[in-house]
Amino acid sequence: MTAWILTLVIASPLVGAALLLLPRAENRRVIERIALWGSLVTLLLTVVAAVLFFRHPTDGGFALKLAASWLGGTGEGADLREAGNPLAGAGIDVAYRVGVDGISIWLLLLTAFLTPLALASSFTAIRERVREYYILLLLLEVGMLGVFCSLDLLLFYVFFEFTLVPLYFLIGIWGGPEKRKAANKFFIYTLGGSVLTFAGVLFTAYYAYAHGAGKFTLNIEELMRLARGGAFPPNVQWWVFLALAAGFAIKVPLFPLHTWLPLAHTEAPTAGSVILAGVLLKLGTYGFCRLSIPLLPDASRAWAPALAVLAIAGIIYTALAAWVQRDVKKLIAYSSVSHLGFCILGLFSMKLAGMNGAVMYMVNHGLSTGALFLVVGCVYERYHTREFDKLGGLARRMPVAAFFLIVFTLSSIGLPGLNGFVGEFLVLLGAATSNQVTDGLAAGPLGFSYAAAAAVGIILGAVYMLYMCGRVLFGPLVEPAHTPDTSHGLSHDLTRREVGILAPIALACLLLGVYPKPMLSSIQSAAQANVFQPIEVRQASAGALGDAAPFVAMGSEIGIPMLAVAQQEGPPATVAAGADDLEWVTSARFVPQEHDSP
Amino acid sequence: MDIAFLKLLGIVILTAPLGGALVCGALGPRRLKDRTHWASIFGVGAAAAAALALLTQVVGAVRTSQTSGHEAGGSHVSATIPVYDWIATGARPSASPPVAAPIKGLPREDARLPHAPMELSSPSWFRVEFLVDPLSAIMLATVTCIALLIVIYSRDYMRHHDHAERGYERFFAYLALFVFSMCALVLGGNFLLLYLGWEAVGLCSYLLIGFYYGKPSAAAAAKKAFLVNRVGDFGFGLGILLIYITFGTLSYHDVFDMIARNVDVTGAALDPSKLTTLALLLFCGAAGKSAQIPLYVWLPDAMEGPSPVSALIHAATMVTAGVYMIARCGAIFVHSETAMLVVAVIGGCTAIFSATIALVQTDMKRILAYSTISQLGYMFLALGVYAADSAVFHLFTHAFFKALLFLGAGSVMHAMGGVIDLRQFSGLRHALPKTCKLILIGSLALAGVPLFSGFFSKDEILHHALSVHPALGIMGLVTAALTAFYTFRMFFMAFAGPLRVPEGVHPHESGSWMILPMSLLAIGAIFAGYLGVGFVGRPFHAFLEPVFHNTFLASTLHGAHEVVAAAPAGHAGAAISTGAAAGFMAEYGLLLASGGLAILSILAAYVVYGKNPWIAATVRATAPRVYGLLWNKYYVDEAYDLALVRPLRALGRLCFWLDEYIVDGLVWLIAFVPQAMGYGARGVQRGALQGYGLAMGVGLAIVVTVVLTW
Repeated sequence: MTAWILTLVIASPLVGAALLLLPRAENRRVIERIALWGSLVTLLLTVVAAVLFFRHPTDGGFALKLAASWLGGTGEGADLREAGNPLAGAGIDVAYRVGVDGISIWLLLLTAFLTPLALASSFTAIRERVREYYILLLLLEVGMLGVFCSLDLLLFYVFFEFTLVPLYFLIGIWGGPEKRKAANKFFIYTLGGSVLTFAGVLFTAYYAYAHGAGKFTLNIEELMRLARGGAFPPNVQWWVFLALAAGFAIKVPLFPLHTWLPLAHTEAPTAGSVILAGVLLKLGTYGFCRLSIPLLPDASRAWAPALAVLAIAGIIYTALAAWVQRDVKKLIAYSSVSHLGFCILGLFSMKLAGMNGAVMYMVNHGLSTGALFLVVGCVYERYHTREFDKLGGLARRMPVAAFFLIVFTLSSIGLPGLNGFVGEFLVLLGAATSNQVTDGLAAGPLGFSYAAAAAVGIILGAVYMLYMCGRVLFGPLVEPAHTPDTSHGLSHDLTRREVGILAPIALACLLLGVYPKPMLSSIQSAAQANVFQPIEVRQASAGALGDAAPFVAMGSEIGIPMLAVAQQEGPPATVAAGADDLEWVTSARFVPQEHDSP
Repeated sequence: MDIAFLKLLGIVILTAPLGGALVCGALGPRRLKDRTHWASIFGVGAAAAAALALLTQVVGAVRTSQTSGHEAGGSHVSATIPVYDWIATGARPSASPPVAAPIKGLPREDARLPHAPMELSSPSWFRVEFLVDPLSAIMLATVTCIALLIVIYSRDYMRHHDHAERGYERFFAYLALFVFSMCALVLGGNFLLLYLGWEAVGLCSYLLIGFYYGKPSAAAAAKKAFLVNRVGDFGFGLGILLIYITFGTLSYHDVFDMIARNVDVTGAALDPSKLTTLALLLFCGAAGKSAQIPLYVWLPDAMEGPSPVSALIHAATMVTAGVYMIARCGAIFVHSETAMLVVAVIGGCTAIFSATIALVQTDMKRILAYSTISQLGYMFLALGVYAADSAVFHLFTHAFFKALLFLGAGSVMHAMGGVIDLRQFSGLRHALPKTCKLILIGSLALAGVPLFSGFFSKDEILHHALSVHPALGIMGLVTAALTAFYTFRMFFMAFAGPLRVPEGVHPHESGSWMILPMSLLAIGAIFAGYLGVGFVGRPFHAFLEPVFHNTFLASTLHGAHEVVAAAPAGHAGAAISTGAAAGFMAEYGLLLASGGLAILSILAAYVVYGKNPWIAATVRATAPRVYGLLWNKYYVDEAYDLALVRPLRALGRLCFWLDEYIVDGLVWLIAFVPQAMGYGARGVQRGALQGYGLAMGVGLAIVVTVVLTW
């Protein structure tokens, strides 16, 4: 049971999708019920998985693991040649490997939590091709759950790409007036990036294979072990990082690669927006923290200032852009870009606090922005518009909706006591203390000035969100003619179903804001075990690097020239030139270490 | 003083109002309806009872320590009480941070012993913890008791003809939520909780200013308040981050302890310029919350909220949070002469600046708002001249008389059907006799007339200001005269002369739900000042002495206290010497002068506004520019709009334009390259067989040639 639970979680929406083929297409109520119950079963299974996960302390490692033979891999360290698999004979180790740690379990829970809510929010909004709609949403859930469970790079990539397809159709079929353009842009943009990501992944595995790993493995844990042993020299990392980042940065999206997002959000149906903002954007940040930082620690450090500058530029730039939007949904879409900048900043602070903050920020953003889209969806269903100029004073007409909109706005702008604050605070704390030696981690690449610059975004965040609330909720009542539309069982204010969708999210926001400790401690142990290399490990691996030892053992990264160059904020060209001087690193033979537990 | 009992009291102080707010919000609309105020009254009442119990505990502790620990040169009464782990990352601190014994008779020499450098780890382990000491005890008692009176007052105020106003339950929920937030701000034992309370009171203020959200002016005022506060909080937040970077902890106890030992997180000596930066960043937050120059602009607009809110939040409690914060962080501020000077100068300037604006305004609540800004300026002036106990004392007396005045204004407004413009009515002493008397008491206290509370606390501040920065002291004196003048201008315009009311209004005296709380506040407005009078031993100051003796009081010759050895940095105050006799003369001379000024100004106001209204008109006509400048509040709002809001909006539009056309355009350009290649190659694939055949033939020929010649 324990080993199979994650597989069950991933497969359960598939079962739901298959069951959806049974009823007749006109039978809308039945279809909706099946879809909702299917996703609730997934939620239940995920909760079971979480309980199993937390019942067995793992010191941060992966748990609930299952490995099954696929393309030559067999899983747990068996000799590949004995498995009798032809690909294994060629030294190829690709398997179905799943498992979760303290980081992915929360994202898994977030996905399973948001999907039923997104489904339930569509009951009145979607009336055409209902069956296809719910099948696609459930397929989308499979992809997202799969990404967060994957411990094999090929599996990860398959699920990562698979999420594109259902969302493409969701936007393209059930979207707004510019749905085709939005769907195409979204698809091509993200596909273009992830092709590079895949190239980077393959090269990483190939490099390890060519330099002594003995097999072509895509096992993430194995590659992490190799990386800890210093398998990937910094100049190799530098290029691989760029390739991986191309896909992840587009997904996040990192400024200036964000332009697909506002359009996709504006055109997508409400549930699509919720899933897109709530979970899909996190695939990018998750990729950074699962693959880029652990596999390519030196390059991550070298690139961190550049990424942080882009993140901060994005935070401020998109916040300003959000302020002048006339469409509520577009405003929230821009705010997403601004918020995700904080995530990147936290991740690349290379500190436990920053990492904790970033992962928590992912979950928070999923909850609060997802919920904001849900509320806006409720308003849109009644008024058929989202424009500021046509709406106003809705607090009078919809007091309950106004309450929820304000709660999620407050969560989004980081009011202490709600979840947003904890993530935001820890991200800034991580960025500010990045250049100190703390928690057994070497000094990181960022510093107080980064935190100070990002904090400007917090003020602007309050500006545009309150501007939005003020325009929509307060002032004299403004409604378009012949609205509110109360057909299809809607009432002026939120219905019971809608309250039932929003209340759990509000509760989660409050709970995580008041008592985030369980979440933070599990994220932290995972970050220590699977993301960062503590100083001792770096020193141990420095032994394998021979000449480099005295430099690296200093505990700071000054010994790696390319970082020293990168810190002068020079353009990438000079960084590359610096990397050329690294004979001592490239010539050093790497000796894979079996288990270097800190 | 029993730690477990204190913890229990602290929890009651926080949870009772929060529970009240939840009950109001959850049961108010459907079940309680017109009775919702009871939930709020019980919640806040329980908090007030607990706060008074806490106060008696602390008073007892201070007594004991002062009798036993006097030899050691002062005592330290404070307890840090952990409640639970909140934001916990990094390694758990190996030993739990020292929980100060409730009574710590620590000889001062001990605090200066050289310490081993701290280890290089900074556990970001933030807990919910309470700090109980005389300062927090007195603040809690003031906040909860005044809040209770105001909640009781609101029961009638928020009704018309005994029908609850729209949003009745919402109002009481917010009010109780505010009490919770303010108590969290005061009771919190670290900077993170301070920030939590700080933002939460800001939120409640936002919600309550925008209470009548249908009014565009109210919605705009609410937004303005929140945003201006956020600007201050930006600095405040950075200050907190910087504290963490410097000291590796956010706990008050640890931070102040490290400053006393002059070490930072790495074990090195503190950099004085860093402390200055810290103090100035924190002061940004204080200037926002306590409406000081340049961030005061939100407070006058905040009067769009219901009057009880103005009384509670925008006069008596929330706006004093900045004063509380600086008093709390005295350890940081007194080490920076620059910061102290900034605090004093900003305070003094704000006091006189807003007093001049108040001279010509005609909205009764706005006059009181500018007066609040001005009085807060006094408090900052006091902090800046090392007289933190006088600042807190003025905060305490001000809470009574200003709350009373706002409630009185509310009573007038209630009677006048929502009209509060002084030009619309006069002679109300006939229609509202009780309100008139109560407002008179409040005005006398605000004007600083001898024997009323405001007189004693203001006089103390002027005394200290004159002895440290004479120029600021003289500004303070002028402000005192202006204060008395505009207060009684307001009073005479409203209550003197023949009875005149707006059309269609039938003035009626408020009911006992409103008069009773005002009467209790009036008692405070008269007698609160006697807690600080010399001939009864200044019990208020003696009570606060343990909080400030290592910080503000250690840094200057101040009142009757001895000078203690100067802290590491030198201080301006230490240079001032006042002989006992000269000090006595100066003090009593000042008492006479400021009392006399107040009475003269009141007489002047009586002559101009009570007897001969034409004088005011003549003055206005002779100096229209000055009048216009003051009437338009020095055009500060307009200047901010022009200098900040519009450029930022324009920048936003520019960003959006860039996004639509440049950034996105570049992406399309990149996408266009493969497309263009496709177009280029299209000519090859026309579907004409001859072309394909030709290409095939040529290709084959090339391959064959290459293979053969190899």
